[in-house]
Amino acid sequence: MAVSKRQRAQIFRSFQYGLLVVAVAVLAIVADWGEVTNAFFNLDAAGTQVPDIITSALVNTAIYTVIGFAFGLALGLVLALMKLSSVPPYRWLATVYIEFFRGVPALLVFITLGFGVPIAFQLQFDLYSTVMLALGLVGAAYMAETIRAGIQAVPKGQAEAARSLGMSQGRAMISIVIPQAFRIILPPLTNELILLTKDSSLIYVLGLSRDEYDLTKFGREGLNQTASLTPILLAGLCYLVITVPLSYLSRYLERRSGRRKDAADTAAGLEVEA
Amino acid sequence: MNVIEISGLEKSFGSLEVLRGIDLEVKRGEVVCVIGASGSGKSTLLRCVNLLEQPNAGKVLVHGIELTDPDVDLDRARRGIGMVFQAFNLFSHLCVVDNLTIAQRKVLGRDKAEAERVALANLEKVGLSEKANAMPAELSGGQQQRAAIARALSMDPDVMLFDEPTSALDPELVGDVLGVMRRLADEGMTMLVVTHEMQFAREVADAVLFMDGGVIVEQGRPAQVIGEPQHERTRTFLARVLNPVQAR
Ligand SMILES: Nc1ncnc2c1ncn2[C@@H]1O[C@H](COP(=O)(O)OP(=O)(O)OP(=O)(O)O)[C@@H](O)[C@H]1O
Ligand SMILES: [Mg+2]
Repeated sequence: MAVSKRQRAQIFRSFQYGLLVVAVAVLAIVADWGEVTNAFFNLDAAGTQVPDIITSALVNTAIYTVIGFAFGLALGLVLALMKLSSVPPYRWLATVYIEFFRGVPALLVFITLGFGVPIAFQLQFDLYSTVMLALGLVGAAYMAETIRAGIQAVPKGQAEAARSLGMSQGRAMISIVIPQAFRIILPPLTNELILLTKDSSLIYVLGLSRDEYDLTKFGREGLNQTASLTPILLAGLCYLVITVPLSYLSRYLERRSGRRKDAADTAAGLEVEA
Repeated sequence: MNVIEISGLEKSFGSLEVLRGIDLEVKRGEVVCVIGASGSGKSTLLRCVNLLEQPNAGKVLVHGIELTDPDVDLDRARRGIGMVFQAFNLFSHLCVVDNLTIAQRKVLGRDKAEAERVALANLEKVGLSEKANAMPAELSGGQQQRAAIARALSMDPDVMLFDEPTSALDPELVGDVLGVMRRLADEGMTMLVVTHEMQFAREVADAVLFMDGGVIVEQGRPAQVIGEPQHERTRTFLARVLNPVQAR
């Protein structure tokens, strides 16, 4: 029997819908909905979480993420400039750093900074410094590559115009190239912020007092107290409150920079040919 | 007095010898146009004048300062040499007036008010006063190039380099830019201009150079070089530029 391409597509689509219906049906029959409700949507358990989950845990997660991101961004910029340096040892150092911190689990970095470094070097960091360093050291490794790509994506004519006006290489970098590079890499940097938001949950290894709890730790404590998964669900929702807007922001920025680039290309004519 | 003095200039990219011994003088107030086929090294010559390209051999003097001397303060020397690019190269993250003020402030140390006063005066000069707050992407090519000229002028240079300033423009926008350049020449600005605009070269230039194969093949008054070229290569090139359809 001859089946046309279109018929085949239709059959395949019907099959997909069928599969979905079966899966939902199985879930509905197998699951004990009373238990599910009790586990995830327990109002009493939820009541014990508010408002602290917002006023304390969510705020803490945001603070940990922001300080880690800020430090990581600064260090990432330094690493990116090292990678672009004309002095080979700088490039090697940056490469080793980036490979190392991208290659090891962030958890190990937290443990090392929380326990190893204080003992080995007789240094006592406070919690914020530890989080800033741990998240920042890891984030910098990822951001360095992004920033380097951004700097290289700025058309060469921009730096040349700056130099022709008498700006030094450093001045051209700071006033002209880096600002444009950051416009280009704003979307991937926003994604990096999302990843760091989730990585901030690793702070649990450090041993925290209750008012220092981040969302994940707060949720786990709630789970222990209430014997319900509701606090975990709430913590998850709180993460989404941060990450979903960020991911929309990232996509918006991406679209906008795409549009701006089109406009610039049309107006500037033949940048490539020049 | 010579503003630009070039002698024995050579420049290679790898094994490609682009400039093979260029001697050139531009006197104060002179307008010199450089013509030549694509790839003949015109841009490279211009970029060697402000050392955007590092020459392999030869000397470049601007205002008597030898830029090819390794100890010279290049950033300082470049302040006095305005450059206008084929692709405009306006700083895309800055509005027009900021494009004109940033180097004044960061390089010359002028304060904001002074820099803006100079910027607005130069925008007026190129007929862009009403675009002071526009972003480069919002301007037409002709407007962008005029803004780029105003940016270079805001540093008060005493010599201007133009690298095919109109060849990325739609034909109807070319006239505005050439008009600005013509006025600049009338005011006595010293100019070295790479261009394919023969009409402009004929009317504005004091001297025309024809480049081919990395050397200056022919130079002289525009009426001579464009009107009665002595060399076969100049004649072939001009025939192609002046009458592109017939020359095929
Ligand atoms: N940075 C570079 N690296 C390698 N080769 C280069 C570089 N810049 C220029 N060239 C080569 O040098 C030659 C001369 O280039 P140049 O841009 O000076 O020519 P031009 O006369 O300005 O041509 P056009 O009229 O097309 O602008 C060309 O063959 C070009 O490919
Ligand atoms: Mg050129």
